Amino acid sequence: MRLGMVVDTQRCLHCGACLVACKAENEVPTGRSRNWVAEREAGTFPGIGVRIEPGQCMHCENAPCVRVCPTGASYVDADGVVLLNPDDCIGCRYCIESCPYDARYFDEDSGTVDKCTFCVHRVAHRQQPACVLTCPAKVRVFGDLDDAQAPVSRLAAERGGAVLKPEAATRPKIFYLS
Amino acid sequence: MNRRRFIRVAGAGTLAGAGAVGLTAAGCGRVRKLLQIDNAPSARVAARGATTKVFSICDNCVNKCGIIAHVARGRIVKLEPNPAFPKSRGMLCAKGNAGVKTLYDPDRLKHPLIRTGERGSGAWRKATWKEALDFTAERLLAIRERYGPQGVLFSSCESFQERFFRSLAQAWGSPNLVRHPSVCLSSSNLAWFITYGTVPEFDLAHADYVIASGANRFESFITPDSVDLSDGLRQRKAKLVYLDPRFTVTASKADEWLPIRPGTDLAFYLALIHVLIEEQLYDRAFVEAYTHGFEELAAHVTRFSPEWAAAETEIPADRIRAIAREFAARAPKAVIYRGRRTSWYQNDTEMRQAMAIANVLVGNWDTPGGVVPNEKLDLGAPEPPEYPWPDAERVDAIAERHPLASAEDGAYIELRDAVLADRPYPVRGWMMFKHNPMHTLPDRRLTEQMFRKMEFVAVIDIQPTDSGWLADVILPESTYLERTDPIEEFSVPYAFAALRQQVVKPQFSTRPCLDIMKGLAARTGLGRYFDFDIDQYIAAQLAPHGIDRSAFEATGVWSNRTARQYGVTRNPEFRFRTPSGKIELANERLRRNGYPPLPEYAPPAQPPGGQFRLLPGKQALFTHAANQNNEWLHELCAENRLWINRAVAESKGIADGDQVRVRSRIGEVKVRAFVTGRIRPDCVHLPHGFGHTTSALRRAFGRGASDQDLIEPRWDRISGNAALHETFVTVERV
Repeated sequence: MRLGMVVDTQRCLHCGACLVACKAENEVPTGRSRNWVAEREAGTFPGIGVRIEPGQCMHCENAPCVRVCPTGASYVDADGVVLLNPDDCIGCRYCIESCPYDARYFDEDSGTVDKCTFCVHRVAHRQQPACVLTCPAKVRVFGDLDDAQAPVSRLAAERGGAVLKPEAATRPKIFYLS
Repeated sequence: MNRRRFIRVAGAGTLAGAGAVGLTAAGCGRVRKLLQIDNAPSARVAARGATTKVFSICDNCVNKCGIIAHVARGRIVKLEPNPAFPKSRGMLCAKGNAGVKTLYDPDRLKHPLIRTGERGSGAWRKATWKEALDFTAERLLAIRERYGPQGVLFSSCESFQERFFRSLAQAWGSPNLVRHPSVCLSSSNLAWFITYGTVPEFDLAHADYVIASGANRFESFITPDSVDLSDGLRQRKAKLVYLDPRFTVTASKADEWLPIRPGTDLAFYLALIHVLIEEQLYDRAFVEAYTHGFEELAAHVTRFSPEWAAAETEIPADRIRAIAREFAARAPKAVIYRGRRTSWYQNDTEMRQAMAIANVLVGNWDTPGGVVPNEKLDLGAPEPPEYPWPDAERVDAIAERHPLASAEDGAYIELRDAVLADRPYPVRGWMMFKHNPMHTLPDRRLTEQMFRKMEFVAVIDIQPTDSGWLADVILPESTYLERTDPIEEFSVPYAFAALRQQVVKPQFSTRPCLDIMKGLAARTGLGRYFDFDIDQYIAAQLAPHGIDRSAFEATGVWSNRTARQYGVTRNPEFRFRTPSGKIELANERLRRNGYPPLPEYAPPAQPPGGQFRLLPGKQALFTHAANQNNEWLHELCAENRLWINRAVAESKGIADGDQVRVRSRIGEVKVRAFVTGRIRPDCVHLPHGFGHTTSALRRAFGRGASDQDLIEPRWDRISGNAALHETFVTVERV
């Protein structure tokens, strides 16, 4: 199994439901967030446009955060999810520096780094990640990229799957539909 | 402008990168320093252990989505959408998810409070419920003694328990009850009602073509309608035509965005009707069988050509013609969508009437994808003893001033004027339930004067508010997660009933509204009106259907149907609740009450040189002024900003994030600027609900500015609904 996600930015309303659901689900500390919504305006009135782009850890196949981790705290699990074992994290923050997507944060309370886990604790119980479940517009589709029949794979195949910062050669497993 | 084409172009370059990463919504102040109020690390996810699930209903806005609360060791750890809830299905918005932090907000009201210092000084003492209820009843009775029952005003906002508050008010015998619609949607309710004899719903789940004027469903309010519209655009390639002086998120998803000149929407709809009739695009068979007054309408709109409207609206005439043709071609799965808050201009009822008329003409009534009647399940209720007929007239004189408006809802701005002037008699007591007039009524200075005129004010709410701070006693209500409410009926997507059941025990010394009312009723000789508890009330509601609460066990909802029944009223014998018995194009209720039966157009006043029209509005993260103090929502948006057109801002030396002074005839505020291309140069936009003055809301206190310090108190002529878009302001860098 190779867990991944497609994101339909055209659907995203920047409503913030995924941001709050993640905070609640993962008890993310105040002032920190595991996911984000970027918004960029282009043009001048009235020829104006806005791109709304939600993001989170890209769960890269070639993950720099895992490569630079001196203790092996950051690792890729059997389903391709990039995770971090807090017991082994020494708080050096090399991984934060190495991430091209700025997807990790330092948790002052625990003295360790934290990040999106694709809600593996939910996935283990056949539940969708919190951000996927709550989304009013159903922007994210999550599933097994190895299963060609899974909606996530079909959407990526049908509507292309651009990745963010391809020049970083990280091979993300979150694909942005065109 | 064709949005989709633009977005393809804009999307060619990717946005990635930490520089673009942000939590902050457009026009929102960035989080500066977060207060560390409740940051004790609670048990981590893994340590939660098993959770139990409780079905309930959200209460963070009027939509009331279905929720499943996950509870571990007596604490709610998470709220999730209830997929079996027919209306909201799999959605829960940011506010819904953040409900946990409303329940556990350390700033919320924890016990009754009795004022000890000057009004508004913030000096309170903790009281027991017995003390607070005795005190409230004593003061109310003293006012009745002196001024009669009409000397007490009862004001409230929607809640599943609002009926108990209103029941106390009616039992008390005051005619002066006022609700939120006259600062919200009363003009829209009125216009649709007088046209159809009912306030309809919109079947966005099946509509293929939607026209919306400022009904900003992808930005101001994320609801099941938002989801149906979004799914329609993506799955069925439905088309959205959106009129708004601002390029909102809704505009960004629309096929066509028309940056209309503010206040001229009525001209657009009159021209649309003109084209539908002139080019014979309307549904002739439907119009003949079901409507009244077509000939009069046809004669009325001859002068409202698209060329005429183009000069008013700044929308090219050929666009108006093209939209009218496409609207008719896609009918009956085509609607002009109603939206929600319609307190815009002084001609608002006429504008909404024109929207309704255009819908009627294309025959989209009571068909899939059209305008559909409300469905009801007909629940029961305990039969109360007869209420006394008030001796006095309402102080807002709504029956004379707005004879078609709902006297049950009242006209809030005029009511305030009457109270301030003691006209026609003094009102010196004020009972307030779940609303915050210091934030909802234009011109806060006048609202504060109204508080200061009172001899007694009691506020029932879940958290400290700017209005509560001006009260004499605060009676804390339990939050929606701590109480069981009456069964609620929903009519979208079909009639069903749902139960908000208590998820956790009240965290503090708070009570449900019903219990507070029972306490006051018992002390004022009105106990006989509350001869039931919540369980008995629910049983009486369900009795006509021969079911009990166990029907709600499996999914939290119950219905005796599974889909909407279309076409019940599409029977030429069906009598609509209008004077003619038909759907009214030329309106007989208006005519009988001395108004023109068809919408007349008068050009709106334009801002004098150097001034801007102030457009208030909402962001989906917040419902009015209710949740700016919520920890998670505050993190996403700590303060509002004033949207100002980039070219205009540059000419005034205003950079993004600069402090600006915004001044109207009635007041001024300081707020930071959001410099953007997303708004017309002749307007500025200030999101509503910020500028809290109560220090008890520790996060929200002093952040951003309140639109109600700027908005002049004016109202729609027919409905009395507030006209919140009629204020001009100047903007200068501080």
